[in-house]
Amino acid sequence: MATISFDLVSPENLIFNDDVGTIIVPGKDGDLGVLPGHSQVMSSLRPGRVMVYSEDKNLVKSFFVSGGFAEINPEKCIVLAESVVELNSLDKSSIEKEIEELGSKESKESEEQMSIAKAKLEAITVSFYDKI
Amino acid sequence: MPSLKDIKTQINSVGSTKKITSAMKMVAASKLRRSQEKAEAARPYSSRLEEMLSSLASSAASGEGIIKLLTGTGNDQNYIVVSVSADRGLCGGFNSSINRETFKLVKSLEGNGKKVQLMPVGKKSRDFFNRVMKDQIIESFVDLNVSSTGYESALNISNKLQELYFEGKFDKCILVFNKFKSAISQEVTQQQLIPLDVSNSEKEEEKENSSNAIYDYEPDEETILKDLLPKNVSIQIFKVLLESDAGEQGARMAAMDNATRNAGEMIDSLTLKYNRTRQAFITKELIEIISGAESI
Repeated sequence: MATISFDLVSPENLIFNDDVGTIIVPGKDGDLGVLPGHSQVMSSLRPGRVMVYSEDKNLVKSFFVSGGFAEINPEKCIVLAESVVELNSLDKSSIEKEIEELGSKESKESEEQMSIAKAKLEAITVSFYDKI
Repeated sequence: MPSLKDIKTQINSVGSTKKITSAMKMVAASKLRRSQEKAEAARPYSSRLEEMLSSLASSAASGEGIIKLLTGTGNDQNYIVVSVSADRGLCGGFNSSINRETFKLVKSLEGNGKKVQLMPVGKKSRDFFNRVMKDQIIESFVDLNVSSTGYESALNISNKLQELYFEGKFDKCILVFNKFKSAISQEVTQQQLIPLDVSNSEKEEEKENSSNAIYDYEPDEETILKDLLPKNVSIQIFKVLLESDAGEQGARMAAMDNATRNAGEMIDSLTLKYNRTRQAFITKELIEIISGAESI
């Protein structure tokens, strides 16, 4: 089976760059599953999970992104994310604490952070497939 | 004629200066490497973003709201000039060339009847403009610590700029900064930040478009553009901060290298002087003894 080259880029550095089988990207209007030969799409992203699967459909890496953009063409998928963390480095209790703290503040900024934190919580609690 | 002791003290003090400058050079060299790595790491993101933007830019007609970052306000009466300097000195002409260039730019814009405001970034630039055109400073950013929290500071600056822009405080924003050319040379560069200047990238994009198929946009072009434009402003600032940081370390390294070499030369000439003076004393004493012995 063919592979597609995948770049995950944050403002500070290039986080992931390899040939993979499938990528699931959190598009603004719903998740996008990207396989080799995908049509050309440019999408903005919502806060959520980026899941990377190898050619034989096993989960290679999973990230949380707080928003950004994806550019997809048949050979390549590029995700420009604002902040990227590996999913398994997230800690549930600390996120819950963050949500609590943000809940007491009332500003436009904290609202934004709130929605990101909530998405983070969702990202680690909602189950996902290790193999597709 | 200075005594032997005076010369000795002078040699010692130049020697310790030399030690300091050579240490600073070494520190700057290692920081330079780190800054360069950072600047390189940030490059893929900004170049990708630019590519996306240039393929989108053509689709944007004039519009309200965020699109204005691309299309402009339609006026060019009020300018804001952001000069990016270092927080610290001892780096040769790095800061003064920024200040000089900014000053010239401001004067020439004012000469054309424009209103100019300033937003200095970095202590050296802030201090300079505090002295010469204090009432035109609208905001200043210092102690940025680019190497550790660069993106956050860039975000702060960009948020402030956009806030002012949408309040209608200015029509055009120009960045003045030191572009990192190589470890020993920097080039003072001006870049128009708002409205975005896509004229360069557009040509490349035309080439690309002819070979590439057209993209689908999700949700749609306008929404993406609205997300993309503010981000682009922060990324451009971030890129400039990194370039300037690398340039600063490079300039400091070169300046300190020069200083170390000068100190070395000075020590050589002082040592020569010291030896000559000492020899003169010995000769004088000998002559005294001999002439004393002769007269007996």
